[in-house]
Amino acid sequence: MLLEATNLSKAFGNFLAVAGADLSVDDGEIVGLIGPNGAGKSTFFNCLAGEAMPTGGRIVFAGEDLTRAPPEAHARAGIGRTYQVPTTFEDMSVLDNVMVGAFLRHPHLEDARDHARRIIEMTGLRAEQPARALGTPGRKRLEIARALATEPRLLLLDESLAGLTPGELRDAIALVRRIHEMGITIVIVEHIMEVIMTLTKRVCVFNQGHVIASGPPEAVVKQEAVIEAYLGRRHRPQERNG
Amino acid sequence: MSQASGLRVIAGLFAAGLLLYPVVLTDPFYRDVGVTFLLAAISASAWNIVGGYAGQVSVGHSMFFGLGAYAPLLFYNLWGWPPIAGVPLGIAASVALALMIGLPTFRLTGHYFSMATLAVAELIRISAGTWGLVGAAIGLQGPATGRTWWDLTFRSELPYYYLFLGVLAVLLATTAVIERRRFGFYLRAIKASERAARNLGVPARRTKLQALALSAAFTSAAGSLYVVKTGFIDPDSGFGILVSVQMVIVAALGGAGTLLGPLVGALILVPLQTATNTWFGGGGSGLTYILYGGIIVSIARFEPGGLSELWARLSPRLRKRAHAA
Repeated sequence: MLLEATNLSKAFGNFLAVAGADLSVDDGEIVGLIGPNGAGKSTFFNCLAGEAMPTGGRIVFAGEDLTRAPPEAHARAGIGRTYQVPTTFEDMSVLDNVMVGAFLRHPHLEDARDHARRIIEMTGLRAEQPARALGTPGRKRLEIARALATEPRLLLLDESLAGLTPGELRDAIALVRRIHEMGITIVIVEHIMEVIMTLTKRVCVFNQGHVIASGPPEAVVKQEAVIEAYLGRRHRPQERNG
Repeated sequence: MSQASGLRVIAGLFAAGLLLYPVVLTDPFYRDVGVTFLLAAISASAWNIVGGYAGQVSVGHSMFFGLGAYAPLLFYNLWGWPPIAGVPLGIAASVALALMIGLPTFRLTGHYFSMATLAVAELIRISAGTWGLVGAAIGLQGPATGRTWWDLTFRSELPYYYLFLGVLAVLLATTAVIERRRFGFYLRAIKASERAARNLGVPARRTKLQALALSAAFTSAAGSLYVVKTGFIDPDSGFGILVSVQMVIVAALGGAGTLLGPLVGALILVPLQTATNTWFGGGGSGLTYILYGGIIVSIARFEPGGLSELWARLSPRLRKRAHAA
């Protein structure tokens, strides 16, 4: 088991954003995380990446307890992440952005630069381009490149493929496949079902802060609890049929 | 000529100009303006390490400047030692103070650090004004005439000019090295997004602390240079808010977070201040506040990146126009 989050919870005052969520990820898997808006997926991601301190539960990654560890410790342990809204370093070039990640495992300038260039080539970006000149697809790609430069064992993709045109989406799916072929385990939060159906063999459905269903995507999307979570009680199949 | 080589030529010409300035302009007035320019450039470049590159805006850097200024004269007044002997103490005290402020405030994000620096600087200024050991409101005085060479009391401005220029060169060389190292990349990443930087493994708190300590050390050295030159310090000229504000404005005007931005800022602001002081004399002392206020509003409204960014934006267009003509 690479990642094991057990009974994880995160409260903001009286509001429980994550309420006893469990997630286990094996080495080499691609796991999809779906759920309606406000289900707590991003907060759960923030807990896994060390950005939000869980108020309960436990996170064990590669045998190491990271429950109360800061984000930089999560990165050192091998967890990389992207954001729903890209947060690139605007005043820096694409190369410099990726080098910041590369320095984690390559402290010397030349080594970091060489490693960053290899990642940039793989992700199809232009090294010297200023980050601020990139459009949304470019920024999302840059975030993936930056996270890859830290040489993660687990990559958390938070809606990294949202807002892309069909052509861009095809390229992005191919990129995620290439990353997976490199031996990197992936957990992906996504609303686009095409992405989930194409990339994942296992999907977990989040609702009201915890996992309500888990299994192969084709089976999970037919489950009553999942349909209810997305569409509400009125649209349950038996009620519509009856 | 590429943009990089063009910049190198300009930097080379600028360096040659700085070296030759007091030789060409021998009038003591102009040499004094030169020394003031160098001091402003040193202070702003020191502030730039933490305020410009790391984006942690200190509005109380006068506390380090003041400690650097008071320590040498304290050594002279207490034991009669040459003021220069107190410089290491000033630097050590400044670094210790920087760590005391940085350790709790860098745990937090937002404006806590700025507020803490402002509060501590004011606290020290008020305390210094009532503490007899450091001369209270009257301040401390250095040796009127040089007893030995070590007192660094010169009649001419020339030795001060080259001493200040040497310190500025060391500071700029240090900053240039930082820019090309992992530390420099980390500082810029923290400035852009601390949250994203930490997720890439950047030890943000430690990096900010190191930047603040380095910045405090050089600012303290600037304070020591000031007092070696003037031979006098009081709470306002050491710890006053204007000392801090001037560092911020000089760096922001030229371009915070750039190597030569503080120099450009000092090159504009110091002659401007000298001119207003000359034209209006003591009656125009309030003009400094108006001038600083006007510059802050202009930078914030029209050019937050300072003149360096304006130049970076305009130079490709100017080159294109020159090629077309």
